[in-house]
Amino acid sequence: MTTMHHDDSFDLTTVRDEAGDPRIGIVGALDWDTADDLTRTASACLGADPAPRRLSLDCARLTLCDSLGLASLLMIQRRAAEVGTLLRLLNRPPSLQRILEITGTSDVLAANGAETGELTPPEPDRATTGAPLPPPQT
Amino acid sequence: MSSVGASWMRAPYPALVVDAAGAVVEANTRAAVLFPRATRGAWLEDVAPRWLTEAHRRAVADGTDSLGHVGGEHGEWSLEAYPTTGSDGHVVWWLVDDTDRLLAERALRSEQERTAFLADASSRLLASLNTERCMEVTVELAAEYLADAAVLVAPATGKRHPLATGTGGRVTHHSLRIDPAMVPGLAEALQGFPPVPSRWIDPAALPGWAVPEGFAGPVGSVVVTPLPGHGVSAGALILLRRSDQAVFDASEEVFARVFAARAGAALSAARLYGEQTGITATLMAELLPPALRQVHGVEFAGGYRASKDSERVGGDFYDVHPGAGTDQETLAVLGDVCGKGLEAAVLTGKIRNTLHALLPLAGDHGHLLRLLNGALLTSRHTRFATLVLASVRRRGSATHLRLTSAGHPAPLIVRNDGTVELADTSGTLIGALPEVRSSTTHLTLRPGETCLLYTDGVTEAHGGPLGDTMFGESRLRAALAECAGMPAEAVVERVQMLVSQWLDDNRHDDIAVMAITAARTAHLTAVDGHTAGRYTA
Amino acid sequence: MTRSTTATDGRPALRRARRDLWRAVCDRDEHAARQAVFTCLDTGTGAEAVLLDVIAAVQRKVGTEWAADRFTVAQEHAATAIHDRVIAAMAHHVPPPEPRPGAGTVTVACVDGEWHALPARILNEVLRHRGYGTEFLGAQVPTPHLIAHLHQTAPDALALSSSIATRLPDAHTAITAAQAIGVPVLAGGGAFGADGRYARLLGADAWAPDARAAAAVLDARLPRPRTGAVRQTLEDLPHLADQEYTLVWRSKRQLVKNTLGGLETRLPAMRAYSEEQRERTAEDVAHIVDFLAAALYTDDAGLFTGFLTWTGDILQARGVPARVLDPGLALLGEELKDFPRAADFLARGRATLDDRSATPPSPTPSLDT
Repeated sequence: MTTMHHDDSFDLTTVRDEAGDPRIGIVGALDWDTADDLTRTASACLGADPAPRRLSLDCARLTLCDSLGLASLLMIQRRAAEVGTLLRLLNRPPSLQRILEITGTSDVLAANGAETGELTPPEPDRATTGAPLPPPQT
Repeated sequence: MSSVGASWMRAPYPALVVDAAGAVVEANTRAAVLFPRATRGAWLEDVAPRWLTEAHRRAVADGTDSLGHVGGEHGEWSLEAYPTTGSDGHVVWWLVDDTDRLLAERALRSEQERTAFLADASSRLLASLNTERCMEVTVELAAEYLADAAVLVAPATGKRHPLATGTGGRVTHHSLRIDPAMVPGLAEALQGFPPVPSRWIDPAALPGWAVPEGFAGPVGSVVVTPLPGHGVSAGALILLRRSDQAVFDASEEVFARVFAARAGAALSAARLYGEQTGITATLMAELLPPALRQVHGVEFAGGYRASKDSERVGGDFYDVHPGAGTDQETLAVLGDVCGKGLEAAVLTGKIRNTLHALLPLAGDHGHLLRLLNGALLTSRHTRFATLVLASVRRRGSATHLRLTSAGHPAPLIVRNDGTVELADTSGTLIGALPEVRSSTTHLTLRPGETCLLYTDGVTEAHGGPLGDTMFGESRLRAALAECAGMPAEAVVERVQMLVSQWLDDNRHDDIAVMAITAARTAHLTAVDGHTAGRYTA
Repeated sequence: MTRSTTATDGRPALRRARRDLWRAVCDRDEHAARQAVFTCLDTGTGAEAVLLDVIAAVQRKVGTEWAADRFTVAQEHAATAIHDRVIAAMAHHVPPPEPRPGAGTVTVACVDGEWHALPARILNEVLRHRGYGTEFLGAQVPTPHLIAHLHQTAPDALALSSSIATRLPDAHTAITAAQAIGVPVLAGGGAFGADGRYARLLGADAWAPDARAAAAVLDARLPRPRTGAVRQTLEDLPHLADQEYTLVWRSKRQLVKNTLGGLETRLPAMRAYSEEQRERTAEDVAHIVDFLAAALYTDDAGLFTGFLTWTGDILQARGVPARVLDPGLALLGEELKDFPRAADFLARGRATLDDRSATPPSPTPSLDT
């Protein structure tokens, strides 16, 4: 583990959840520099024999997801579908939620409906309220 | 009578004995070589240089001890003269030949000059990455410092050789069909063989093109030296001197080669740069956004600002495919390709070509997007594109739009009263998922109203007065509310300007904007006729 | 040159064209604008006179109308867009001649961050009509792109345009970089000062107050710089050694934040500001800091006080007293009290605002003087 978390730092931590399935915590920005890391890490989990029942990506500390980050999520989803693993995107921050909605991928990259109740609810869509963005937390 | 003995005559140093009145009394063997006319009784001032005559006068007046020694030049020699007092008020001048030292100093000075010249030449040669300019500087420097004129022969492009010729501070460029074999050593130099010694080249045998216009007088001597490039020859340099000038000596030939090596390196750097930018330009030409104009009463204006972070070029694009006639729809597309650099560029190119091929099917956006998705889908990656399709047709004062978003931020509509509406369309991104869905919206623009298509580089621009805020959709809406009734270009310019000011000097993604505006005055002018064909990719 | 008309031939036609174009621009009627210009051209007025004495003149009036709050930003943009299109249409109506052999090639570009492309575009057209081979790179040209382009094309001169003094540091970079590769630079536009003082300060090879003067400079041919080495900024501007510019520029965001915070404690009215009003205020403060930085860069207090005088006029035209700027300047002065030059400029700025509250703003020039 890294000792210091700079704004730009990116980190992936894989743990087992209560059911013994892999859960990858994403810290930092998922972009051109880091998307491949996530694809590799997730693909390694999916490549296990037997394949896990489900794979969770914990996005609580995801600060940014650009188009290459989204491409990585789509690739992981594709591979998960191939091996019959259920992919869950947990704790999706509003910015990620918004990208998924605009790109029409929120149903493909689902939070796994049944379990969303226990997660942070998504914030209201800025586009509909028309309110300016709050400044990012520092 | 002789004040000195026979051994004096054989002394290893020249010595002159001069009386108080300034007449030569005696010169030893070596002095006689230096001063052949210094016979007994000759006046010193007639046979020796002035500095020695003057020194003698002072030595007689003040005594030799106070004078110390003097020095000066005499013909091709450099001498030091030490006076001692002889009998009868005679002064014996002992002369030391320090010509070698002087020559060494001169050589050193010229070496320093050459080094300084090379340093200056290098920085001037390397200043420009433009091949012509670089040839020019080479010829200019060579004609100024190395010779009376210089001709640079670059390797042939096609059947012609680019040439730069210079003399008297003027450089001209030519492109000529020449036979390098006409100049001895030139063909070899162009292939990078070692230079032919200048004495082997007969100036009379030079062809006319090798002597620059305005060269005064017949050619006396010629040096041909290769310009070594990186791996291949960068050309050859011909140096010319007039017949009234000294011929090139060996050290000058060596120096010309040293200079040529620097010029060759600079030239090949410039050539490499030119080739690379040429290749990039060819690649980019296909990807550059087209200049947009009015089509059948509808204005299309586009603005594109590439990310400065060139490695991360996202690949935003837009296109307008004008309808064949006023009753045909014009299809406008604006999109954003995921990825960076060449990969993104290749995907952009593929999308634009496929869309062009699918134009006849533009009547059904959903169908067109499904076909496009099928064409882009690959098992190798999930790189995708998001885009907006806009089919536009003006009928009288009503401009009808069909808009479909494929995973892209929905367009904004600017009404004449300043209201800004979000187009009600959404859909799936293209190229990553086996199935795509989309919803199309129909709307009408009145003259002066605008539909704005944009990429997320606009809304995600990071900056503002405090430096840490996203531009966001609400600011874009507020900006557009001020653009009611503006021509398409003005809307684009306004949005670009605000985003750019918002960014200040921050890093940013590609930013693309397209305004589709129902012209306020729909005069179908000649411009349409001139430019209609230009939109088709 | 032969195309330009004499004063007596052109004057009534030009005056009529200005009147018609102005009316068309106010009505946002592109067709009428084109007619106004074409009629003028068709009655024998040269393209250069139409570009400079009609289009540029009307565009100047647009600027003064905006300053006097008689034109909105939207109207100003619309007018510029119409002028742009009219110029494009002119190129079809009276095509410029093929470049004269030996006339030289000129690249015309705006400094990075400069959005006002019309003056540069007009110069470009004037030069084309005079037989130059030109390339127009447009607004906001990033300096690396500009230099790459100059390497590729090696023009005889670069005509560099900038209207806002805050872009002077960018202009300086572009000037030294172009000269280092042997391209002389002709600077023009309001940013370089009414007398071109900043063009000289930044080492431009020449400066011209308008397009005709620029063409005259180019006609006389600018010698190529022979340095081959990039001049260091400090060689031109030794005062930058005190780092004040660098530090102010670098801490700009923090300065704006602190000043904004200070204003909120000092001016109770600000606490009731909407988010948007607060953002406008932050933008105003950022603007002041930008000009302060430019003044530090050029070591010219006049650049800063001149900006404040101008801003005061703009505010006054909109019914806002210029003294609203004072608390911000005072707070910045406290923030920058350890920077002697910055503190001095801010003090002079406050004094300028103090003086001007007594004197009325200068009258706006009319179109036909």
